[in-house]
Amino acid sequence: MNIKLIKKGDILLVAAIAVIAGIFFLWQSLNNESLTAVVTVDGEVVQTVNLSAKEEKIIIPDTQPKVKIVAENGKIRFDYAECEDKLCVSCGNLEKKGDTAVCLPSKTVITVAGSDVDAVTY
Amino acid sequence: MKKKIVSVAVIAVALIAVILLSDKFIINTTENSFFAMNTVCSSKISGKESDLVSEEIQAAVEKLDTDVLSRKNESSSVSRLNRNMGGEIDEKLFEYFSLLLDVCKKSGGKFDFTLGAVSDLWDFGGKADLPDEAKLKEALSHSGSEKITLTEKSVAYGDSLTVDFGAAGKGIALDEIKNHLEKNETKEAVISIGGSILLYGEKDFTVGIRNPEGNAGSYIAILNVDGCCVSTSGGYERFFEKDGKTYYHILDPETGYPAQSGVVSVTVVSESGIFSDALSTACFVLGIEEGAALAKEYGCETVFVDENKKLYVSDGLKEKIEITDNGYSLAEQ
Repeated sequence: MNIKLIKKGDILLVAAIAVIAGIFFLWQSLNNESLTAVVTVDGEVVQTVNLSAKEEKIIIPDTQPKVKIVAENGKIRFDYAECEDKLCVSCGNLEKKGDTAVCLPSKTVITVAGSDVDAVTY
Repeated sequence: MKKKIVSVAVIAVALIAVILLSDKFIINTTENSFFAMNTVCSSKISGKESDLVSEEIQAAVEKLDTDVLSRKNESSSVSRLNRNMGGEIDEKLFEYFSLLLDVCKKSGGKFDFTLGAVSDLWDFGGKADLPDEAKLKEALSHSGSEKITLTEKSVAYGDSLTVDFGAAGKGIALDEIKNHLEKNETKEAVISIGGSILLYGEKDFTVGIRNPEGNAGSYIAILNVDGCCVSTSGGYERFFEKDGKTYYHILDPETGYPAQSGVVSVTVVSESGIFSDALSTACFVLGIEEGAALAKEYGCETVFVDENKKLYVSDGLKEKIEITDNGYSLAEQ
């Protein structure tokens, strides 16, 4: 009976595949770690902001009532709103994935993309 | 050697392709967000024709709001019934009325969905000011679910009531969505209607309980649950401050004033959307002990958060909750 032994070349082959796959997984997970804020009005995306890159932006979407959104130093917030209760402004800075603020009257939502849970009940 | 390099390259490319395409290749997933029922709604649906199901669900919620539940629309069913002190109802409305009347009765009147005229005077989210006391008393005198007579085909108000499904509408929407998902080959879904959540599918879900002092996406604890509905009532959703006092939007049906039971938020877990939503409101008004007892009668589980940052967890959730914020802790029960 001939038994084929594993050759050195076969081991190298498997190792090479594992390394390539590993590098790719690492690259994907590193990309997923970057924080992005998404601003939507009535469900449509109007702006995205790269919080990890500390992108600075002032966003005044076309809404009634008017809102002003400020992104700086890796954080984003409703800086000003013309709505009556200004609950959106009182949410303060959003900076962690899943952080969300909503201005209902202007139908404007700021979300930091990603979450460690399936949903948040509120 | 050359052959081996080619083999490595082919296998590596195949692996990368599988990783990139795995989610899309095996299961379609569609995410959507929209505004309806005066709140923000979102859906994440996985399964056959998920994009079509997602569109249908948005349309169904908008239709439920416009045609049935919304008091802002004069031609909705609830507006018609309020104008005419009752009238004909269909099977769905009969179901909503009878389930909610049951909660009214079992809560000893601490849940009441006939307070529309009273809540209009408070105008939370609008001008937000204390209502005139005489007007409040007058409006309160025209409330009371005990004045409703219900049959399978009709409802009659014994007074000029203003029925308002606001305290249960999000839960009603969840039940309608669940029916829709069951009719399609939906594998899994997570739906949020203004923070009332439907978890659908055969998996272990994680749900954060909102931090009362944080933004809408921050949470103080995580629930590990199977498919179910989860609703929360919290004063932080709508309130105003005047002369150093905070007025929350959840009213005590007996007084017409914001409830002050010492509860900051209460989360109800149920198989039923309408019960999760209505009971979360009832529990907020009733307080921890009576609220938990009422929810238990309906086979529902609860998590109360009080003003001292203590969590009161019902038996069915004790093994399923994980507190993630150091500022909060389990109460001794």
